[in-house]
Amino acid sequence: MELLRQIFIEPFETMIALPDLLLQTLWEGFVSGTLYSLIALGFVLIFKASGVFNFAQGIMVVFAALALVGIHALGVPAYIAVLLTLGVMALLAFTIVRVVLKPLVNQPEIILFMSTIGITFILIAGGQLIFGGEPKAMITTELGLPTGSSDWEVGGGIVIFQHIDIAAALIAALLIAGLALFFNKTKTGRALRAVADDHQAALSVGISLEYIWVVVWFAAGVVALTAGILWAAKSDVSFALQVVALKALPVLVLGGFTSIPGAIVGGLIIGFGEKLFDLYWGSPILGGGTESWFAFIIALIFLLYRPEGLFGEKLIERI
Amino acid sequence: MFYREAGQYKATYEADSAKFPIFQDKLFIWAYLAIGFIAVPFFGNEFFLGAIMIPFLVFTLAAIGLNILTGFTGQISLGTGAFMGVGAYACYKMTLAYPDVNILIFIFASGIFSAIVGMFFGLPSLRIKGFYLVVTTLAAQFFLEWAFIRIPWLYNYNDSGAIEVPQREAFGIIVTGASASAEVRYIICLAVVVIMTWFASNIISGRIGRSWMMIRDMDIAAELMGVRPLYAKLSAFAVSSFYCGVAGALMVFMWLGAAEVESFDYNHSFEVLFMVILGGLGSLLGCFLGAAVIWILPVMIRDWLPPIVDAITPFTINSSQADLVSDIIIGVMIVVFLIMEPLGLARLWAIIKQKLRVWPFPY
Amino acid sequence: MNAHDTSFHGRMDDGIEPGKALLHVDNISLSFGGVKAITDVSFDVLKGEVRAIIGPNGAGKTSMLNVINGFYHPQEGSITFRGEKRAKMKPYQAASSGISRTFQNVALFHGMSTLDNIMAGRTLKMNKNFFWQMWRYGPALQEEIEHRKVVEEIIEFLEIETIRKEPVGTLPYGLQKRVELGRALAAEPDLLLLDEPMAGMNLEEKEDMSRFIIEVNQQYGTTIALIEHDMGVVMDLADRVMVLDYGKKIGDGLPEEVQANQDVIDAYLGVSH
Repeated sequence: MELLRQIFIEPFETMIALPDLLLQTLWEGFVSGTLYSLIALGFVLIFKASGVFNFAQGIMVVFAALALVGIHALGVPAYIAVLLTLGVMALLAFTIVRVVLKPLVNQPEIILFMSTIGITFILIAGGQLIFGGEPKAMITTELGLPTGSSDWEVGGGIVIFQHIDIAAALIAALLIAGLALFFNKTKTGRALRAVADDHQAALSVGISLEYIWVVVWFAAGVVALTAGILWAAKSDVSFALQVVALKALPVLVLGGFTSIPGAIVGGLIIGFGEKLFDLYWGSPILGGGTESWFAFIIALIFLLYRPEGLFGEKLIERI
Repeated sequence: MFYREAGQYKATYEADSAKFPIFQDKLFIWAYLAIGFIAVPFFGNEFFLGAIMIPFLVFTLAAIGLNILTGFTGQISLGTGAFMGVGAYACYKMTLAYPDVNILIFIFASGIFSAIVGMFFGLPSLRIKGFYLVVTTLAAQFFLEWAFIRIPWLYNYNDSGAIEVPQREAFGIIVTGASASAEVRYIICLAVVVIMTWFASNIISGRIGRSWMMIRDMDIAAELMGVRPLYAKLSAFAVSSFYCGVAGALMVFMWLGAAEVESFDYNHSFEVLFMVILGGLGSLLGCFLGAAVIWILPVMIRDWLPPIVDAITPFTINSSQADLVSDIIIGVMIVVFLIMEPLGLARLWAIIKQKLRVWPFPY
Repeated sequence: MNAHDTSFHGRMDDGIEPGKALLHVDNISLSFGGVKAITDVSFDVLKGEVRAIIGPNGAGKTSMLNVINGFYHPQEGSITFRGEKRAKMKPYQAASSGISRTFQNVALFHGMSTLDNIMAGRTLKMNKNFFWQMWRYGPALQEEIEHRKVVEEIIEFLEIETIRKEPVGTLPYGLQKRVELGRALAAEPDLLLLDEPMAGMNLEEKEDMSRFIIEVNQQYGTTIALIEHDMGVVMDLADRVMVLDYGKKIGDGLPEEVQANQDVIDAYLGVSH
């Protein structure tokens, strides 16, 4: 009885009694949701264009952020460091496509997937070897990102908006919109969608597969760098971020592996969901810390009912 | 030259479907077993047995578990570490509750608990395939990691949050705890691994193993041949998790002596997956080879690389940097093997054997 | 047939007289989203006959086979097999009721040997539990060897002794088709569905395959429904022929009747509708 009360009544009582807490939580959920969407978008880009389920996307976020901080620490001005980091990501994209993916064309998906786990391992160890394993502060002010916060009085309490959070949500939204435009309006974008539809057909009309793959892996690198900067500005640059980035996977399950709107909606659902659940149910009933698994368990339950995701197409199996 | 099958005819189907159809293979197996059970404990020192052989055996068992699921049934799992954890915690709770029962019974029984947990997290595999399963097994990984921290009952409310292995006897010999000798622990691990490898190879070559491979190779055709996906997939999850659970119990009771959640985190899931990929998907021999390479290589690099770097370059590296180097080497090996020989070391071994069989002719 | 007798019989014993309908397909309609694959098709397959389904590409022939063995679920209509009318059925249930098949694009288990692939066809006949299998001893070993004998009979029948232990992925296409037929036969089906058994074969391979089909039909009395594009083969093998076009049945009858049917000729020559 007590448990039922804790599950079905008390959380809602708290929500009504403390509206500022609810709003604060929703805002934080929104911000992390946009960042999940951004990371998930990196996955979707690569998956759509090459059918590769890129497990390394999470570590690319960390690697990009580490590279940026590391290059800046050498005395390079912040904006130049960003450019150089983009160069690093481009080089990484080129190397991965050339050395790993190209020899593996036409292999089963599971082999390609496992190769990205290998890449993950190399990037984790390589990143630590080059940049060191200890957490570092993001160069937030040097990049001109805002700090500080604004308060908003609601129902006897205050809701705090960190400026960096506002900036993060805006930048993520802009980047998502920009990528959507790029892939829908430009020639490269069209070629990419052609490749996503049918490799063979795209090859036959003279689209270079290798070029397209380098482009999407670089785009995924740009997404990773952005996500890395924004996330690390909120906490620190460390390898723990990698685990956070893995939450893009349940986001994809919710949204469907090939859907850009799906990645956005899925990210927001996970963002809101895990913050609300942990505050109102996880902490009082289960002792907290539920954010580590909430997204995955939701994805698991969801898969039992709708395996193709919210926006994915239902596949008709042929034989 | 001595590896020949000429003159060895098989008169029955039983002989033809034997595990080691060639006489010399049978001889080698007995020789390996003799070395493993007699020579290694006789000549091996505490360090060699405790820090190299026991972990190698534990990881081999875990790799067999994962290979049953991934290599034989085609279902990817990143939850191996957590399933090992379930076995370890189950064994710990059982032996605390019944201290007088032979610990070996509990080590096997702990596999049953992880089999149940594994089947539960395998349920979504009935509706989904491939990458989606990565997500659900990661759900198992993260949820169970959380449970190992947040449910203090599991570690008996110890302040440290760790499980500490108590001293237990089997057949009148101390087998666990600080005063158990490395030889005894090694022999137990070896016996468990040998028996369970034999069981695994029997299951794989029979109807159940075939139904797993049918699901792996072409699930639709398998279903049209009368394989029920529910049974095939869930039995694979159950058997796989059973092996992982026993491996987890051995890991804590025979090797580490004490463990907390870090011993079962998702890095271990990767480590075991790498052993399977490198050793060979769908090969039991591969599990031994993969575990050997991935466990022993870092130990060697940690010992040898820093002095070499000191001697021939102006840099120095410490042992944790040497570990990173071995991680990179393993990552590179994974990628190289996937490109050159997706079936891993076991396949290389088979090619060498085939060459020996017909030597000196090319084929 | 008693339970311990596992020699090869070719088919189950179903108690239906030869010449009576083994399978009734009544008013089947199947669509995917808005696309109609099959519209209101009825036909029957008599016990002991070779029934051919022909039609231009995309006519719904493979979909029809998929409906019969439970892989697709039609929106309308019913299927009566061995006197049992069924609504929705799972593929493994169809398999256990005595339907087995081959596929248009060979669907062998590529990681397994020829022997194991054909053994896979015996899955439903084997039932020894996990604990016996774990020891590979006693009943489990006994069972394995009994079924191996049956499989060897099939291997001999199909003349593929030399590739018994080869992984099927490395075999040439014609042999793969033959192994697939062996796998379907291993289930000793009442009704054998063959989806383009001769596609992509040369003349010699086609002749071999035709011979096997005729022998299966005549020696074991197995009822066969097949899809085939090679008209010569169809006219030779089939007792009766059904013609599908755009998911509708446009002809049904003896081979020579169908050959003379104007709608069928139009469909193949592509007269505009």
